Amino acid sequence: MSSVRPRDAVRRATRAARWAAIVVALVVSLAPVYWMVATSFKTELEAARLAPTLWPHEPTLANYRGLWSGSLPFLAFFTNTLLTCLATAVAAVVVATPAAYALSRARFRLRGVIGYAMLVFRMLPLVVLLAPLYLLLLHARLLDTHTGLVVGFATFGLPFAVWMMKGFIDTVPIEIEEAARIDGYPRWQIMLKVVVPLVVPGLLTTATFVFMEAWNNLIYPLTFITTLEKQTLPAALVLAFTGQFKTDWGGMMAAATLTTLPLMIAFFAVQRSMVRGLTSGAVAGA
Amino acid sequence: MARISLRNVEKRYDDTLVLRDCNLDIDDHEFVVLVGPSGSGKTTLLRIIAGLEHVSDGELRFDDVLVNDIDVADRDIAMVFQNYGLYPHMSVYDNMAFGLRRRKLAAAQIDARVRDTARMLDIEPLLARRPRQLSGGQRQRVALGRAIVRDPAVFLLDEPLSNLDAHLRVQMRAEILKVHRAVTATAIYVTHDQVEALTMGDRIVVMNRGRIHQVGTPGALYDAPVDRFVASFIGTPAMGFVDCSVERHRERIALVTQSARIDLADAQACVLRQADAARVTIGIRPECLALASEDEARAAEVVVRGTVQVVEMLGAEQYVHAATDGGALTARIPRHRRVRADDTVTFTAAARDVHLFERDTGRALR
Repeated sequence: MSSVRPRDAVRRATRAARWAAIVVALVVSLAPVYWMVATSFKTELEAARLAPTLWPHEPTLANYRGLWSGSLPFLAFFTNTLLTCLATAVAAVVVATPAAYALSRARFRLRGVIGYAMLVFRMLPLVVLLAPLYLLLLHARLLDTHTGLVVGFATFGLPFAVWMMKGFIDTVPIEIEEAARIDGYPRWQIMLKVVVPLVVPGLLTTATFVFMEAWNNLIYPLTFITTLEKQTLPAALVLAFTGQFKTDWGGMMAAATLTTLPLMIAFFAVQRSMVRGLTSGAVAGA
Repeated sequence: MARISLRNVEKRYDDTLVLRDCNLDIDDHEFVVLVGPSGSGKTTLLRIIAGLEHVSDGELRFDDVLVNDIDVADRDIAMVFQNYGLYPHMSVYDNMAFGLRRRKLAAAQIDARVRDTARMLDIEPLLARRPRQLSGGQRQRVALGRAIVRDPAVFLLDEPLSNLDAHLRVQMRAEILKVHRAVTATAIYVTHDQVEALTMGDRIVVMNRGRIHQVGTPGALYDAPVDRFVASFIGTPAMGFVDCSVERHRERIALVTQSARIDLADAQACVLRQADAARVTIGIRPECLALASEDEARAAEVVVRGTVQVVEMLGAEQYVHAATDGGALTARIPRHRRVRADDTVTFTAAARDVHLFERDTGRALR
């Protein structure tokens, strides 16, 4: 009995330490989010005070109202972002799935090299691709267009999408595909009718990651889009709310809150399948 | 229906030869079992016949047509996989209909065939379910159903019962044989379980290390194994072996060990004389050995003495594993005989039950 008590104490202490670590992590990660939301409800004066207030003393919706009624085409920014990011996510999974299938299943020369080359491209900093992409889009007459922006987003999202999809496709037991080959189906139909339905959680996860990455991309829209009305939300936040003499913190935080909201909704919507996809085993006759 | 023939078939992965010089003829509607230990090449051979692996060298023919380069989809085969290989996202019905739809059959015809097959396999109530909602035995039936619903010329089964419990395995063995009788396909069945092989196969192909050792009926393999590997692999418990020296005195020939006396039959002496082997291994099956007293031993043709290592009690009988100075023997004896570990025992056998093998090559002498 006597040996049980110290072990209980150790267990309790471990649990307390674990909770403390969780609380610290939560505070560190949620504090900026809280600050953003709180500031969005503050008046212009309160938001700019030298001694900041922890919560809005005179809560107001003026900042949100200002977004719709103000001179800035906030709705256009929002639609631009949503459309380009959705198009990027769809394009990425449509292109990445067959590429990942080939890398996962086909045996061809340079298979390893191609796979790792994608990983290396992924490791390059975003800005390295900026100049060559700019020139490519310029020659293709795609600068200052949403199509050009989608191409830009996709170049960075695709390598990641291919690797991620390959991981999901690797988990599909090969016997299932062999059964379909014996049933007489050609490769591309096996991919569409057998493999893709089994990696739907993976598709959703990959699309969400690509979507979120495109949504957060600031430097590409700032560089490739020159017309303010065509701009995406993150770039518009920087361009529209930062003036020469003052910064509209309340308006900026209201816009930032609305910018973050779709990301959170997207994440929570696929969270379950994302976890299932990442831990896998969801596929196959298990 | 299809006759299958393999001529000098070889399979290489880079520099590793995994199948060598395989020759085999399988008749229409025959049920042939490929049996061997892990890594023997039996599954590779089955996959080559299926078209899932390419032949590196040699010829594979279906009804005299060379199929080496014919795609798996055009070989008219069906296969049951070890892990069933069912489509998890489809219902049982769709799993069975998937191959028929590819063949562009009319919906009514597909429906009739799926339902007929489901009725035969007793899975009709399960047609709307997904594979994950089925037990192992039910999944196995669905896998069988998916294979036979297409009425293929060749029906391949890759260790289909290895994931089932012992009771279900016995039940499914009978089920598979029933299904094979009902269809016209030639069946090739892979297993590492020699009991499955003996009970199911019209003929059995024994493989080891990428080579076919012997092809024959279960009885032929049991009674006349061509080498020591087949002799030890077929039969439970396995045949015991004792190494002997051959002594020749003019016309007389005898096998000598410290612990055994072996009076060979005339035919066996004749074989030994012709074989010119100096070192021989004798093999005796457990059921051919009897526990004997010294008096009984005097009259016996073959007498071997040894020390009991382990006694396995099986209810109606017991297996006595004994060590002799030339090797280990196992005897199957009635349960009432009292034997314990470390006892010194004398076994007797008839000369006709002794198998002779060349010690160096393992080849049977007959």
